[in-house]
Amino acid sequence: MSPSNHKPDLEESINVSEVHGSVVREAAACAREKRIVDNGIEPVSLWAFVACGIVLLIAGGVLGGGGSLFAYGVTFRPGYVRAPAGGAEDTGPVAKAAMAAYQSKGSKIFSAKCSGCHGADAKGNGSTYPSLAGSAYVNGETERFSMIILNGLQGPVSDGKVYGVMPPQGIGMAPEDLAGIMTYMRNNFGNTKGDVVTMEMAKAAIEISATRKKAGSSCSSEELTADHVKPLPGAALDPGMMLDPITLQPAKAP
Amino acid sequence: MSSANPTTADQDALLRAGIDRSLRHPVMFFLTSGAAWLAVSIVLGIIASAKVHSPGFLSGCGCFTYGRVFPAHINAFIYGWGFQATFAVIIWLMARLSRKECTAAGLILTAGHVWNFGVLAGLLGILSGNGTGMPWLEFPAFTWPVLLVSYFAILIWSFIQFRVRPEGHVYISQWYLLAAMIWFPWIFITVNTLLHCIPGHPLMAAGINAWYKSALMFLYFTPVALGTAYYLAPKVTGRPVYSYTLAKLGFWSLAIIAPWAGMQKLAGAPIPYFLPYLGAAATVMLFVPAIAAAINLLRTMMASPEILSASPSLRFTSAGIGGLILLGIAAVFLNLPDSTLPMTQFSMSGYGFEILTLYGFFSFVMFGAVYFIVPRVTRREWLSRRLIKMHFLLSIYGIISVAMFALLGGLEQGIGQEDWRQPWEAAATRAYPYALGTTLAWCVILFSNVFFFFHLTLMWLRLGRRSSHPTLLAVTHSHASPHGEEGDIDNAGPGHAPAH
Repeated sequence: MSPSNHKPDLEESINVSEVHGSVVREAAACAREKRIVDNGIEPVSLWAFVACGIVLLIAGGVLGGGGSLFAYGVTFRPGYVRAPAGGAEDTGPVAKAAMAAYQSKGSKIFSAKCSGCHGADAKGNGSTYPSLAGSAYVNGETERFSMIILNGLQGPVSDGKVYGVMPPQGIGMAPEDLAGIMTYMRNNFGNTKGDVVTMEMAKAAIEISATRKKAGSSCSSEELTADHVKPLPGAALDPGMMLDPITLQPAKAP
Repeated sequence: MSSANPTTADQDALLRAGIDRSLRHPVMFFLTSGAAWLAVSIVLGIIASAKVHSPGFLSGCGCFTYGRVFPAHINAFIYGWGFQATFAVIIWLMARLSRKECTAAGLILTAGHVWNFGVLAGLLGILSGNGTGMPWLEFPAFTWPVLLVSYFAILIWSFIQFRVRPEGHVYISQWYLLAAMIWFPWIFITVNTLLHCIPGHPLMAAGINAWYKSALMFLYFTPVALGTAYYLAPKVTGRPVYSYTLAKLGFWSLAIIAPWAGMQKLAGAPIPYFLPYLGAAATVMLFVPAIAAAINLLRTMMASPEILSASPSLRFTSAGIGGLILLGIAAVFLNLPDSTLPMTQFSMSGYGFEILTLYGFFSFVMFGAVYFIVPRVTRREWLSRRLIKMHFLLSIYGIISVAMFALLGGLEQGIGQEDWRQPWEAAATRAYPYALGTTLAWCVILFSNVFFFFHLTLMWLRLGRRSSHPTLLAVTHSHASPHGEEGDIDNAGPGHAPAH
């Protein structure tokens, strides 16, 4: 107890030195704190207003730069065709060799229409789906091959075995699709014919298919052997010729 | 205080000391575990940044691929360090400002452990390849209800304290903190419901996600940091807040503008056409609340230049406010739809802007608060002026470098990306030196946080100085005692030393 305890003018209920001592011991950091005063009324300087005003103008410009903000026609344009970007002329898609161009179309058709049954490796399953790898129908005459794709097949296949029924795939198939899938199959999965089935040939195949005697029904091996063991008409195409990969027409010289 | 009856002042100090004591364990738990997650986040950030320029770095292991390390880095930063720092600051500040002792320390501590468990589970989820792929929400979906429930269990007590506070006017810090406490559940519940529970169109989900990032920065971390700074600046200097009007302008402009920002990141995507433009304009306008708060706080602090230079709290806080000014300016210049915005969408500069917000502004203010709060709740003074100085200097060099390298490098990268005649590799080549700089700068920040974490851990273990004198940054030679001002506890009474 320090002598300050004996000051006469303090109420007796508070022991000053005790309270003070505990503040010093336990609340030194709190005791030296200052009180918060928040009622400052300093004027805001003009440059702050000017800066904020400039920023609000910029923000208005940003919003205004959007044009009419609810005009969905600006972002959603029906029938929009990409225009060449500024700064360079649009040279279109890069040309590809004929073999690669036909095959890239064909591989998409293969995974959409064929691989579901014949498998991604085209090996079939040995019981209901025959293998396309090394198949005499695939690697043989192109007209016979095209008739199977367009109209489907019932009965024995080239190895003489009877698998399941192959449904027709020709509905809605464009000539470039048929040409692509045939070229792709004849040059993949161990098949190495090395020739391109052209669009012209595929167009002829679709015409032949429409004028068959039993048009609309599946092919049988008898019909194939009787009517279709011949190559499709049309000029052969040099597999190395550069083509536009979209249209499959000869590419313009760059 | 000087005009008050000394006995009343003493009792008031004891009341505040009692509040501090009631919150000692939860506050120190959040700060130390937050600092530990910060270190984890920085290490992950270094790995992620290194992969930008050296893709082969640590590429042997699946859990160290960029797609996992980068989200782990940013999520550890936000949910590990950022949120836990805000928890510590909010529960302490709201108790102090409402003048109520905390009666639920045990429950807060338990909920804090649950939160940490959630963060740990989320990070392991990301690193094991189970992240959601939604920016800043990469934690596997099961964690968000855990985090939300523990959030409520931690902060509901601060609401109650505010509700039963003594009559009187509500201080600026309380506006910001209460607003942040209410805004976060709104943002978090909205976004998680729309992304996980009733998912809509995936394109719009990307827009919602972009809004979440912006809202978390400007409707949670920013108001918490501003509320803290509005407490520290007048408290430490003892000066009135420069302008009350400006404080109101800053608060309401933030509340009105910030919710609209965010969707500019999807400019050019087929989402409703006005959203990106509205987002860009709102982000540009964030300059107004930023500059209003920055002027107000800096003018308050600069009214006492000698305290500003001596106090560790104010040094960090003023640096954070400097970050806020940079942030406001960057918000204007990075969001111009016809020039800069396309370069920030898919480049490092978006990251630079986020790190500037989360570290350059928010974390610096939080460090300032840590240097103020910890001596009070532990009743020990910081051990070493040098450790604080090293933390400050390395942090400031590190963050300026990270922000500048990422912002400017991102613009360079964006220019490369926009030039469609060049291969994509050209953009990476343009960004290469900046990415290298970012990695080095993160290493500097890691080094600074070694000092911080070490110092904080010693304080947590109550190994701080027993003294009535604060640890200040300025060296004064005005006293005669050979033991210096930092003498034994009996050498000085209260109120003699300058506050810090």
